[in-house]
Amino acid sequence: MARAKKLERKPLVAVVVTVLFFAWLYVPIFAVALFSFNDKKSLSAFSGFSTRWYVDFFHNEALLESLRASLLIALVSAVGSLVLGTMLAFGLERVRSRRGRVVGAITLLPLVTPEIVTGVAALLVFTGAGLKLGLDTVILAEITFSIAYVTVIVRGRLASFPLEVEEAARDLGCTPWQSLRLVTLPALVPALIASGLLVFALVFDDFVLAFFTTGVDPQPLPVRIYSSIRFGVSPAINAVGTLMLLVSALLIVAALMLPRLFKSRSSSLDLITGGERR
Amino acid sequence: MTPPTTGHAVSLRGLTKVFGGQTVVDALDLDVDSGEFFSLLGPSGCGKTTTLRMIAGFSDPTAGQVLVGGEDVTSTPPHRRDVNTVFQSYALFEHLDVRRNVGFGLRRKGIDKGEIDQRVGEMLELVELGDRVRDRPAQLSGGQRQRVALARALINRPKVLLLDEPLAALDLKLRHAMQAELKSIQREVGITFLFVTHDQDEALSMSDRVAIMNGGVIEQCGTPEDVYENPTSVFAAGFIGTSNLMPGVYASGTVAVTSDLRIPVPGHTTSVDGDQVSVAIRPEKIWMSDFTPAMVQTPGTIVSTSYHGATTQYLVSVGTGITLTVLEQNLPRMRADDRWNAGDRVEIGWLPEHAVVLR
Ligand SMILES: Nc1ncnc2c1ncn2[C@@H]1O[C@H](COP(=O)(O)OP(=O)(O)O)[C@@H](O)[C@H]1O
Ligand SMILES: [Mg+2]
Repeated sequence: MARAKKLERKPLVAVVVTVLFFAWLYVPIFAVALFSFNDKKSLSAFSGFSTRWYVDFFHNEALLESLRASLLIALVSAVGSLVLGTMLAFGLERVRSRRGRVVGAITLLPLVTPEIVTGVAALLVFTGAGLKLGLDTVILAEITFSIAYVTVIVRGRLASFPLEVEEAARDLGCTPWQSLRLVTLPALVPALIASGLLVFALVFDDFVLAFFTTGVDPQPLPVRIYSSIRFGVSPAINAVGTLMLLVSALLIVAALMLPRLFKSRSSSLDLITGGERR
Repeated sequence: MTPPTTGHAVSLRGLTKVFGGQTVVDALDLDVDSGEFFSLLGPSGCGKTTTLRMIAGFSDPTAGQVLVGGEDVTSTPPHRRDVNTVFQSYALFEHLDVRRNVGFGLRRKGIDKGEIDQRVGEMLELVELGDRVRDRPAQLSGGQRQRVALARALINRPKVLLLDEPLAALDLKLRHAMQAELKSIQREVGITFLFVTHDQDEALSMSDRVAIMNGGVIEQCGTPEDVYENPTSVFAAGFIGTSNLMPGVYASGTVAVTSDLRIPVPGHTTSVDGDQVSVAIRPEKIWMSDFTPAMVQTPGTIVSTSYHGATTQYLVSVGTGITLTVLEQNLPRMRADDRWNAGDRVEIGWLPEHAVVLR
């Protein structure tokens, strides 16, 4: 009751604006999802429920090949940028110097550079270096782009991790490597998982970089969708879009939720730090 | 557990640390005996933590040597030094439970699981945490975290245990309880404790010996009674307890504080006539009644009176510019209106040996 009263007191304007905002944001996406279940080819009239476009998609070898390519790109990029980004985070956080601060600022540059500029630049570099465009060039470009995300997230966690804890590990018989493995990395696990998931989600449905740096075959899924739209929009594309949306949304939600999960129920850490377990 | 062996657990030889031109620890020489409870006492910023970090191996000395058990470990990395530390922040491993925090060092040494479990069990009994084995550090109170940090270091039976202000973060009541407990644990295990604190009460009540540190050097080192009764420097006299410090000139067995007040300092032999010195007398060593023939007496005027429950503190003027603090016990036979009031003329006295000359 009390809650309902509180809601009533909210100014009407705020409610209307909020509803309009979310409508603006989500109606197109909702339309895509809705028409992916349409039983006719029409994109304007919903005539009945069917999953035929999903069946279509799972029989379309070209689209499936693109899906596999995109998953591979996302996975390799996530792992690659995780390794490099974490190393960079350690370098920036632990070797404090004036030059380090400049490097730290440069690291953030990809986050604010228009992606299309990064894409064109990557294309120029790759062709200039005589590289043959393909999945590996896409992965290379995506890793370059996503290192910044990993570095920012991991560095934040590392900054709040007291050096004294590492010293305690060394005091108790750890070599520097062992203290990294047994004490520092376990403390970073939530940040590593979160940034890995985030990068996977960002790369998986990234169009711009992939468009500039991919070869002809196999094309990453977003690029494939784009090229097939030129020949008319098939509801199968709606199905693909809905699936991609679902995957990305789940990953991002997971990335946002995980750190909190680790905090409240830290016992779940055992699953990941099994190394120290006997 | 391990019987105390004879000899020095830790020796420092000319230990020096310079940070960017600033000498933080200055040619420290120190020997800590095996089995001893030794305190480094000094104000914040005097270089205590830096000294401990060099002994533990986290910080390389600019010059000098660190010996542990007679062996030079100056260039030995921390994980191979037979030294363990209780950190000021405790530095517990938050991702491990109490049992695995405490067993961490033994596991690194490759000791078999059965023995680790047994020793962890014993150690947790010793620090009264037997019922919290499966808890994470985050679930423990400050005092309990402190005990985990202590147990985690102590279980390795190091030649010396370094404790960096381990009780500073606890509230007063808990701190007093832990002081007694820490002392009894130390007696029970017989391990050498090198204890760092800025709290003089703590250092005096717990230690076998105390070193008073100031500005990177050790001003005085001795038993608590020794450093309290016979301070050798102005800093030591002022830092431990309170003292009435009076500058003056030494002349044939007395120090002239003013033209009227000459304080006898029998037994003092290291000054020659005309030396500028200071005399220190503890407030509780000055009497305002019940004088004995051996006492030095001088007249004075009460400046102020303040009541402190068990004691009453008087400020007594004994000449131009000389005001002494006098602390009197509120004995059962004394009534409230027996106290002196501002303006009263009084006689004060002290035993000559309680006037200590400082240079
Ligand atoms: N890593 C460091 N770099 C520069 N100065 C330091 C460093 N560590 C300590 N100091 C300085 O050394 C002095 C003594 O510090 P510390 O040993 O921590 O004192 P204490 O533990 O007695 O309070 C302080 O003035 C402090 O600022
Ligand atoms: Mg300190």
